[in-house]
Amino acid sequence: MKNFREIELLSSYLDGQLNASESTRLESRLTSDPELASVLFDLRAARGILRKLPARKAPRNFALTRKMVGLKPPLPRAYPIFRFSTAFATVLLMLSLAANLVIPQFNFAASAPQAAYGFGGGGDPASAAEEPLMEMAPAVLPTDDITARQGEPSADAMQTLKEAGTESGLPEQAEARNEAFVPVNWQIGLLIIILLGGLLMWIMRQTASRKWR
Amino acid sequence: MDETALINSAQNGDLDSFNTLILHYQDSVFNTAVHILGDDDLAQDAAQEAFISAFRSISSFRGGSFKAWIMRTVTNACYDELRRQKRRPTTPLEPETSDGEEIDSPKWLADPGMTPAQKSEAAELEHAIQHCLDTLPTDFRTVVVLTDIQGMDYSEAAATARVPLGTIKSRLARARLRLRECLRGFEELLPASFRLEGEGLQ
Repeated sequence: MKNFREIELLSSYLDGQLNASESTRLESRLTSDPELASVLFDLRAARGILRKLPARKAPRNFALTRKMVGLKPPLPRAYPIFRFSTAFATVLLMLSLAANLVIPQFNFAASAPQAAYGFGGGGDPASAAEEPLMEMAPAVLPTDDITARQGEPSADAMQTLKEAGTESGLPEQAEARNEAFVPVNWQIGLLIIILLGGLLMWIMRQTASRKWR
Repeated sequence: MDETALINSAQNGDLDSFNTLILHYQDSVFNTAVHILGDDDLAQDAAQEAFISAFRSISSFRGGSFKAWIMRTVTNACYDELRRQKRRPTTPLEPETSDGEEIDSPKWLADPGMTPAQKSEAAELEHAIQHCLDTLPTDFRTVVVLTDIQGMDYSEAAATARVPLGTIKSRLARARLRLRECLRGFEELLPASFRLEGEGLQ
């Protein structure tokens, strides 16, 4: 058995990959070395067998369909505009629904402590402005009077508080809680835009794919 | 067929142009796949995968030999398939000694695992050659398929296999040497003009 370098040379020689001087040198060795010549014959025979291997025809057609490569029909230029407006309207509708659900509860929660304690300002700026006046009122009273009256609010104070409570709009807040933050008409409008946009996009896609076929 | 024009059209997304190219190359692609994988069904799948992948990445083709480019795609698809097969438990193609070294011997053909029935099935020369090709390591098999079966020159085969020219020469020589040894086991099947040992220069 010849070394691998020689076999590589013989293989390249078979394919005409050696330069002229290398070929001449190898050919002179082949005449004097029968073992080397024998290897060359075998390599040539092996190559010849492979080259004689009949080429097979493809058993089926490999042509691609549009579906195979995921090609989609070209859509009209206006399509992205519809897609954007539909998506935008959907986002707005979601936000409006969320706002109508969350904001009234937030208002109610903010006004709850005011209703519970009877005073303290709460969310109403008008009552908040009056608060310092109410706090200052007892300060002008004599000390023993203060001690005597500790724990029970005066009739005046109660009257003031009642007025303040009415002015701060507690019943109005209750009404506001029932009112939608975003008008329902707007939401219906958005819904119509979404449905129309979706329908138009569907028609565009159908038309495009029918034309493409 | 104006290949360049078809390639340009295909690069612009024209599937019909690419299908014309497929019709031209599908026999070569299938033959390459079937000789690398040694199985018709797997070869069909690999060829189809290769064409799909080729269409999707045709924009990356920057000129040169389109045949080499498409063959590279199919050899990659074949390698993927072989890797998938490797993950499943299979009988190794290359038997090993107790030391873990590969047995590079023509005795492989006289493997008692190959029953007389199987041998008679492999009576046709093509089967015998495919059997010998299957015993080669994948890299060697690919090079011998590209050069000796597909008739590519060394530079085309190097471009296809993405290896240096010297590697092609080396792998081809080793592959031919192993095939020579392997084919001795099928001496009686070989045409007289291709009998090994002691034949004169043809």
